[in-house]
Amino acid sequence: MKKPKRKLTLPEKIDLPPLLDLWEQQDPSGPDATGIYDFYRNLAEGELTTTKCKSCGKLMFPPQIICPNCYSDELEWVRIPEEGELYAFTELRLGAPIIVENYTPFVIAIARFGNYPENGVQISGMMFDVKYEDLKIGDKVRWEILEIEGPGEKKRYWYYFEKVE
Amino acid sequence: MSMRNVAIVGVGITRFGVREASWKDLVLEAGKSLFDDVPNLDKKDIDSLFVGAAQPERWIYQTHVAPLVAELLGIEVKRVIARTESACASGQLAIRYAWLSIATGLSDVALVVGVEKMNSKFLNISQSSMINVGNREFDGANGFTAPPFFAMVAQRHMHLYGTTEEQMAMVRVKNQEYGSQNPYAQFQKKVTVEQVLNSRMVAPPLKLFDCSAITDGAVALLLTSEERAREFTDTPVWILGGVQHVDAAHTTNQMGELADWVALRKAAKDLYDMLKITPDDIDIAEVHDCFTISEIIEYEELGFCKKGEGGKFIEEGESYIGGKVAVNPGGGLLANGHPLGATGTRQAWEIVMQFRGEVPKGRYVDGAELAIAHNLSGMAQLHHIMAYSVNKPRDIKFGR
Ligand SMILES: [Zn+2]
Repeated sequence: MKKPKRKLTLPEKIDLPPLLDLWEQQDPSGPDATGIYDFYRNLAEGELTTTKCKSCGKLMFPPQIICPNCYSDELEWVRIPEEGELYAFTELRLGAPIIVENYTPFVIAIARFGNYPENGVQISGMMFDVKYEDLKIGDKVRWEILEIEGPGEKKRYWYYFEKVE
Repeated sequence: MSMRNVAIVGVGITRFGVREASWKDLVLEAGKSLFDDVPNLDKKDIDSLFVGAAQPERWIYQTHVAPLVAELLGIEVKRVIARTESACASGQLAIRYAWLSIATGLSDVALVVGVEKMNSKFLNISQSSMINVGNREFDGANGFTAPPFFAMVAQRHMHLYGTTEEQMAMVRVKNQEYGSQNPYAQFQKKVTVEQVLNSRMVAPPLKLFDCSAITDGAVALLLTSEERAREFTDTPVWILGGVQHVDAAHTTNQMGELADWVALRKAAKDLYDMLKITPDDIDIAEVHDCFTISEIIEYEELGFCKKGEGGKFIEEGESYIGGKVAVNPGGGLLANGHPLGATGTRQAWEIVMQFRGEVPKGRYVDGAELAIAHNLSGMAQLHHIMAYSVNKPRDIKFGR
C-alpha cells in the first residue's frame, strides 16, 4: 500500500504584504529614527511643513536633513502657505493600486504653494468630494490634514487638497 | 585607452502580450530565438551577461535574476554578469553596460536579455508596484502611478500648446497601423481616431488607447567587438554612441513644467553634438511612447519639430514612414505593449530587423542608415538614447 501523502496547511487568509501600505509608519523610536520625523509630528499637530536651509535659503520639498544646494545641515522647519494654486490634475478612474481602490475614483492634483520655484513648493496631493469636470488649472486650493486609520489601532497623518470656493 | 567598436550581431524575441508562460519560459524563448538567429554561436563564446529587469522581486517574487538566466541558458559567465534596473528603461541600460564592457575590452561577447513578466493572478499588483517608481513616500502615497502622472503631462501640454485629444489619438492610429504588421506585438489591430477617443477613460484626458499595456515579453541580443563581429553575422548593427540625462529630479517639486522634458532636450543635444549629426540625419526613431502624449513631446525634445508643435507633427503625417522621420515603425510601446525590462531591447531588435530588411514591406524604412532608440524611465525624469547605424563608426564616442 502507498503511504498517504503528507500535507502542509497554510493560513486561510494571507494579509496584504506590508509593502503595499503607502504611508510611512510615523512611529520612530531611538536616536537614529528618520531625520525628517518632525514632518510627521507637525502633520499630527495640524501643520504641513518642510525644511529651509538657514545657510543658503533654499526651500525644499520633500523635507531633507542636508541641503542639496550647499550641503549645510543647518535646516529649519517652515510652514507651507495654506493657500495655493492648482497646476495640474486628473482623476484616477481605472487601474488604481490595491491600497487606494477603496476610495477611487478620486482626483490627483499638483498644486503650487508660495512663489514657486524661488520661494515655494510644487507638491502632489489627493482631492476628495470633487470631480475632474469641476476643476480648472489656476483654481485656488488649500491643504488640509488627513487622518489615516488602520491597520489596527494605529493613527497616521497625511495631507490632501481642498478647493477654495 | 583606445575603445573598440561594438555591434549587435544577433537577436531573439518572444511574442509580447498577456502570456501564461512564466518569466523563465520567456527567457528561454528569447534565448532559443537568438541561438536560432546566430547558428555560428557556440555558447562558450559568451563571456558576459546583462539582464535588464525592472521589478522581478515584486512581479514574480524572484531576485538575483542574472545568475538564474545564466543557468537557464547554460552559460558560464567568465567576465561580467549583472542585472540592470532603471524602471521602464532597464532594457536599454543592459545594452549600454554590455556596450561599455566590450568597448573597454573587459568583455568580448556579451548576451543581453531584457525581460519582464508583469501580468499575474494578483490583479492590480502591476499598478501597485508601479507606484514605487516615483518617490513613494511623497508622490506614491497620493496615488501617483504612471497613468495619472502622464495625464497631467497631457493636460499641461494641451493647456500650454493647444495640443488636442484627437492629435494624441493619431499617435495610436499610426502605431497600430505598423503594429498590425508586427506578429510579435500585443495589439495587432488597426484603430481609428474615434475608437481611441471612445475608449474607456483611465485618467482624463487619457483614455485606455492612449496608454501602453501591462505586458509580458523578452528579447535577447548578442553584442561583440569589431574584431569578432563577422564570425556571427554579415549584417552587424553598429552602436554609434549613447547618452543619458537626469536633472536632479525625482519628486514633483523638482520637475518644474511637466510638459517640457528638459532632460530629454539636453540628452538629445549631447548625442547630436558627440556624433556631429542633426535630427535631420535620423532615418528611424524608436521612441518611448508609453502614452500617446509622450511621443508628441519626444518629437519636440528630440528636435524633429519646434517645441509645442508635436501635435501638428503627427497630424501632418511627418512621423510616418515617408515623412520627416519614421517614428516607431514597429508599433512602439503602444502596439507592442510595455514589458518594462524588455522594451529597450525590443527597440534595438526593431532597428536590427529594419537594417536587415527583415520586416514586412508596409513598415519597412527603405535605405535607412541611422536610427536612434529613446527609452525613458520613471515619471519622465531620466532619459536614455542610443544611436545605431549600418555604417561602422570612425571613433567610438562615450561623451564630450
Ligand atoms: Zn543650503
